[in-house]
Amino acid sequence: MADVARVDGADLAARGALVRALGTLVEAPAPEHAHLAELLGLPRVPDAADHTTLFVLNLYPYASVHLGAQGMLGGEAGDRVAGFWRALGLTPPAEADHLGALLGLLAGLAEREASEEDPARRALLGEARRALLWEHLLPWVPPFLLKVDAFGHPFYAAWARLLGDVLAEAWAEAEAPCAPALPAHLAGLPPLIDPREHREGGAAAFVEGLLAPARSGMIVTRHDLARAGRELGLGVRMGERAYVLKALLSQDASPTLGWLAQAAARAAASYEGMGPSPVITAFWRERARATGALLNDLASQEAHPSWTSPETAAQPTEAHRV
Amino acid sequence: MSLKELSQRVSAARKEAEERGETFYPGASRVHLASFPPKERWNDWVELDSKAWPKRVEKRYMLVPTTCFNCESACGLLAYVDRETLQVRKFEGNPEHPGSRGRNCAKGPATLNQVTDPDRILHPLKRVGARGEGKWEQCSWDEILDTLAARIRSAIQENRHQEVMYHVGRPGEDGYTERMVAHWGIDGHNSHTNICSSGARTGYHFWMGIDRPSPDHANAQLILLVSSHLESGHYFNPHAQRIIEGKKNGAKLVVLDTRLSNTATHADHWLSPHPGSEAAIFLAIAHHLIANDLYDRDFVRKWWNWQEYLEAIHPDEPATFETFERALKKVYAEYTFAYAAAESGVDEGTIREVARLVSEAGTRLSTHNWRSAAAGNLGGWQVSRTLFLLNALTGSIATPGGTFPNAWNKFVPRPIHLPKHPRVWNDLTWPQEFPLSMMEMSFLLPHIVREKDAKIDVYMSRVYNPVWTNPDGFSWIEMLSDPERIGVHVALTPTWNESAFLADYVAPMGHSSERHDTISYEQYDGQFVSFRQPVLRAARQRLGEAVADTRDANPGQVWEENEFWIELTWRIDPDGSMGIRSFFESRKNPGEKITVDEYYGWMFENSMPGLPEKAAAEGLTPLEYMRRYGAFEERKKVGQVFAQPVGDEELRDAQVDRLGRVYTQAPKPADPNVVPFPPIAPDAEGRRRAGIEVDGQVVKGFPTPSGRLEFWSRTLAEWGWPELAIPAYVKSHVHRQNMDKDQMVLISTFRLPVQIHTRSLNAKWLDEIAHTNPLWLHPSDAARMGGVKTGDLVRVETEIGYFVLKAWVTEGIRPGVVACSHHMGRWKVNDTGQRMGMATVTLDRQGSEWGMKRLKGVAPFASDDPDTMRVWWTDVGVHQNLTHAVHPDPISGMHCWHQAVRVTKARPGDAYGDIFVDTEKSHRVYQEWLKKTRPARDVSPDGTRRPYWLLRPVRPEKEAYRLPDAEPAPEPAGAGD
Repeated sequence: MADVARVDGADLAARGALVRALGTLVEAPAPEHAHLAELLGLPRVPDAADHTTLFVLNLYPYASVHLGAQGMLGGEAGDRVAGFWRALGLTPPAEADHLGALLGLLAGLAEREASEEDPARRALLGEARRALLWEHLLPWVPPFLLKVDAFGHPFYAAWARLLGDVLAEAWAEAEAPCAPALPAHLAGLPPLIDPREHREGGAAAFVEGLLAPARSGMIVTRHDLARAGRELGLGVRMGERAYVLKALLSQDASPTLGWLAQAAARAAASYEGMGPSPVITAFWRERARATGALLNDLASQEAHPSWTSPETAAQPTEAHRV
Repeated sequence: MSLKELSQRVSAARKEAEERGETFYPGASRVHLASFPPKERWNDWVELDSKAWPKRVEKRYMLVPTTCFNCESACGLLAYVDRETLQVRKFEGNPEHPGSRGRNCAKGPATLNQVTDPDRILHPLKRVGARGEGKWEQCSWDEILDTLAARIRSAIQENRHQEVMYHVGRPGEDGYTERMVAHWGIDGHNSHTNICSSGARTGYHFWMGIDRPSPDHANAQLILLVSSHLESGHYFNPHAQRIIEGKKNGAKLVVLDTRLSNTATHADHWLSPHPGSEAAIFLAIAHHLIANDLYDRDFVRKWWNWQEYLEAIHPDEPATFETFERALKKVYAEYTFAYAAAESGVDEGTIREVARLVSEAGTRLSTHNWRSAAAGNLGGWQVSRTLFLLNALTGSIATPGGTFPNAWNKFVPRPIHLPKHPRVWNDLTWPQEFPLSMMEMSFLLPHIVREKDAKIDVYMSRVYNPVWTNPDGFSWIEMLSDPERIGVHVALTPTWNESAFLADYVAPMGHSSERHDTISYEQYDGQFVSFRQPVLRAARQRLGEAVADTRDANPGQVWEENEFWIELTWRIDPDGSMGIRSFFESRKNPGEKITVDEYYGWMFENSMPGLPEKAAAEGLTPLEYMRRYGAFEERKKVGQVFAQPVGDEELRDAQVDRLGRVYTQAPKPADPNVVPFPPIAPDAEGRRRAGIEVDGQVVKGFPTPSGRLEFWSRTLAEWGWPELAIPAYVKSHVHRQNMDKDQMVLISTFRLPVQIHTRSLNAKWLDEIAHTNPLWLHPSDAARMGGVKTGDLVRVETEIGYFVLKAWVTEGIRPGVVACSHHMGRWKVNDTGQRMGMATVTLDRQGSEWGMKRLKGVAPFASDDPDTMRVWWTDVGVHQNLTHAVHPDPISGMHCWHQAVRVTKARPGDAYGDIFVDTEKSHRVYQEWLKKTRPARDVSPDGTRRPYWLLRPVRPEKEAYRLPDAEPAPEPAGAGD
């Protein structure tokens, strides 16, 4: 990492205030948000429904969802984040891996570091801040912010760009001597499986992996699945994402896989120049490319491939087709 | 602007805001479950119609809240009202409800089944032919109202107050009906509570003057349950989620239950004691704390009435706390771990380990007992009393993670009118034999009516099924069938039941989404009010339609009680001359009937601080707010009310007596919360008690006669039970020494998690999950009986008869004990009834001998609902309560449910579901148990029927408390209060 002049205490504290403000804005809109947005030069604060559509129904702002093997809240990835709080001597809050909580922690560490007199303790706090950025924020926040930006809500798109800049600068200033090969979350995470290599349950494991962003290299939202259904003329069933996706695959597997392959290619392309860490960016790009290749390969097979096991979803009858 | 400049700008703004004392960063406010539609979209929520799939058909809903009415937890529900058809399409949780927080058990969503039940009673019905013959014709609401009004009016005018009785099973509301009955001037309220929670309530009441616990499980270090709150009970869903929260935070869970309940499977320690020995275990733990000085000495010194205890028991010794501590060490010395292990059959090491956990939990010990052992045993009320002793010793009362008195975690808004106290006393429900009974002696009614040769001219049962739910149901059938005993019986019920079959009129009342009520329950350290409402009426009103009568929005002619009672009261007293009508008169339009909109509108406007402001912020009236969101939280973190100082303005001319009780001339401050508290007697000069003095400070104390936690109860000592004046272990009627060698204990008090007594049989989803009640039998007992296998028929003989059912051989029960849930075994003798869950039976009566034979189980049938053709089960269980004799506890009045039984393989000729009972025998058992009592006429220290301070749902005026023929007596010496 390039050698950047050490940020002085006042700047560090001020940077903490900015990070905390950005973290606050990921929460459901409160009256105070209007003032914060104005200070940051962001567009008008959205209403609660917009917030719900984005962060509750589509892009879940949790590290575990993006870094876990199942693409769900909690699990090993959630434990790892909670363990980080404990290692700092802090009690993990109810949702320790929520983006708002993690940015609050980053701000808190910066503020404490800024006011710390003892150089040894200050160094330790700096190390903690670096570790938080490297291990728990940079591995997933840059691709997450790209998706937020692409979602198209003016306020949140501007917020995402600003937060991306702030994190990039924070990393640049973090005086990391040299980054380790890969953050622990990513290092041990298996890639997406090829369902044809599994005799039983391959389809379910494949769908699970596809919806686990750091495994597939792509973030697939409810909104994406609804669009796929619309564009392919397939029925979109109400339910969790895995259910929706299985229903699409069971109606017409090949076009669905093809559609997803294109989405993976778009994702891989979008990662060009993403975030401050080339290692992490390369990880996401490679995962997305590999996923795209696998999807294309699967799509070129017969219309109802044998690996879609009967339990995934009932085959629709002709009468049900649209 | 560069990031550095931006940072400085934010930083400077934050500094300024904080200097002004303003919030700069609001806290986290995130939505945890994506399944809750955001409340700003409730008015017009769009979902795709799942039945139309794969077509994309949008359904538009209005989400209207109400309160579940299945069990007593009063969880919030959201009805999804189809905006096009104005039908409820589904029920889900209400995230705005502070108790249930959006979560529900299976019984909540199943409300939809109840609303659309094909066997639903949709019109008022009148009996044709003899009682119980099963022939009905539709009648008008006017006929029912006029019949009742005429009879009630005559009874009141002719001083036959005792002949009018309102008997409620599940009230589901806070006091509307009690107040109404009181205002009619009768003592005619009757409840089900003495077959339910009276035992546990009594134990709590004698300790703290408040009769229920409110455990803070979420913050506890140790959760100690004599209950199965992860699956059922008061208040199962709100408590279960907090127990799990506590466990997630590292709390240990200890469960005492003879049966392996679902809750016990989640425990760190499951103790399966011999039924009735629970109090011995708790006293051993208490002794361990006392003997090893592991209790909170300062808490005991400040808050227990040890001074009164010393005066009464050790009058010759110095009245110091040190004397008390020495006495305390001796009083439970015999309760060693070895003794408790021998009594209970639980391993001594396990009891010791639990004692260690209790001693380490400090003030974070949450405990709970509601029914279970307290409802099963003679002296069962000592189970809750000895359990709470552990809280009282460790100071874990109203602490975070401790156990709170419920009344401080409950908010009952003051209604528009409060009633007078009736001037009469009803001997049928409050007989002299039970001066300390917690509630009405309801389950003894057939026996009491028979002994007194009494008649009840008007019997109104509401959401209540006495024939089926009470022990000794054949005695109920005899009473309800007899026109000399019951003049007219009107069953106010949403669904068919065994008692309604015997009624003269059936008055169909709404389910949770079809009626108005308010309810508040102790579910955490806070206070909330939940509003039940007819959701279709609310939806139509929101769309601009005027709906003045709930019948216009409900299915068929189904009504709600609120409007029914208003109408009935007006017909009893049409011109207001009896002074009764005033209770339901409008305040806005004097001389006119009050409407439910005015009734609740007034309450929410005037008696719920904070609600009008919160509603106004959204541009709503308080009533509109409650109709929109369904619940309102009044307070959070109430804390230790007893330790709060009493303000100087309340201490005018204050006098402190020798026990540290502080009396004042200042009037009681007005309180919009009318949650019942015991009435505390004034001092000799008529001063009101404002609190107690503790370490020189006047604090609120407890609503007990002493103002403190009553380790020693003067009430019990003076009313004939000095040997039980402190928490004690009473050997149960099913203690080994009271049973023959060939007898076993039958436990019948437990619920099936998805059913709720006799109210949920009309829910097809629930019936499919749970529909039978086999006999839990340990493999060693099964072997002893000659190799009984699961599914084999066994005969269970009680004191008064027997029943035949199938065995379920399981390790989940203690050897020597059998268990059978009371939840199933519903029956009908005619075609009318619930076809999905009631077996068809014949009844055969020869004098006092009754026999029941099952003709057929359930089968598929055609109806508007295609699911009824998919009924795959036939077995609906056996009605065991018919074979139980009444066992009234002489103090609490609680029916002691456990039965000493003989279990054998079925005999030749026995068939599944056979029941035989001799009601003469059951009357003799009643008389035997009556001998255990110490009637008021023999023990009353002051010529009254009952200690005035004890809680009572309807409280007659003080004069009515005097025993008949008793001279007005002076206050008893030393009684103080």
